[in-house]
Amino acid sequence: MTKTAEKTELHSAIALDRPWVTLVWDDPVNLMSYVAYVFRSYFGVTPQEAERLMLQVHNNGRAVVATGNRETMERHVEAMHGYGLWATLAKAEE
Amino acid sequence: MSAIQRFTVQQDGALLGRFEPIEVDLLRLATTQLLEMLDSGTANPELAATDGIFGRLLPDAYRDDDEAAAEFRRYTSVNLLAQKALNAQTVLSSLHSDVRASDPIASLSADETDVSAADTADRQPYTVSIDPDAVQAWLRSLTDLRLTLADRLQISPDGVVNLATEDTPFLRELYDWLGMLQEELVYAIDI
Repeated sequence: MTKTAEKTELHSAIALDRPWVTLVWDDPVNLMSYVAYVFRSYFGVTPQEAERLMLQVHNNGRAVVATGNRETMERHVEAMHGYGLWATLAKAEE
Repeated sequence: MSAIQRFTVQQDGALLGRFEPIEVDLLRLATTQLLEMLDSGTANPELAATDGIFGRLLPDAYRDDDEAAAEFRRYTSVNLLAQKALNAQTVLSSLHSDVRASDPIASLSADETDVSAADTADRQPYTVSIDPDAVQAWLRSLTDLRLTLADRLQISPDGVVNLATEDTPFLRELYDWLGMLQEELVYAIDI
């Protein structure tokens, strides 16, 4: 019984904490080299990962560049706007 | 022009950038206008919330939630506009830091009172020093300049220029040149 109760609690905690994501959208202005640079320098990802994300933005129109709680995603979006990138946040898709 | 590398990295991490006088003039003019626009947005937040270009400089953070987007804007726009203005000011200060002034040969020619000699000195390229913090300001400000120009040129999502006035060729050239400059800057600091 104890076990079951724990499980249920854990499950609802996860449901409440469905994470948020930061999305970067394609725009006709920003250069591919600059977008990849921003991903490397701000998110600290490897050059390969930055290139992959940049190409995802370019080819698919958008990419999820970060996942986490809402406050953190808002901070990332504000930083992206500081860089001049078109970024939004949303609840992660289930 | 591309034959000569514009930016070189110094030992202290600062960049030296080489600019033709006309390039410095254009960059100063464009950046000064950007600064005025940013200041007008700071002075009049209602305008900043509705005017097209501010919509791109400070895009909606929530696509499907107007209320959350408005609240985000309320909390971030003042800070973002101030930061963007500071970046533009940093670019203008860098452009005033022509290191020729500390070059004995250059200052010698600058002392010449002969008008033709002064003209010759005037046409020489500028060398500006940009420290690592300033490089960040430059990268961001060049983006803001291009976003502003793209709005003016009515560039559609597929990249087509829709503005068709006598200003179009000049604005387009400036837009492309700023992009080239930004890319040179990215490559210069890329390790």
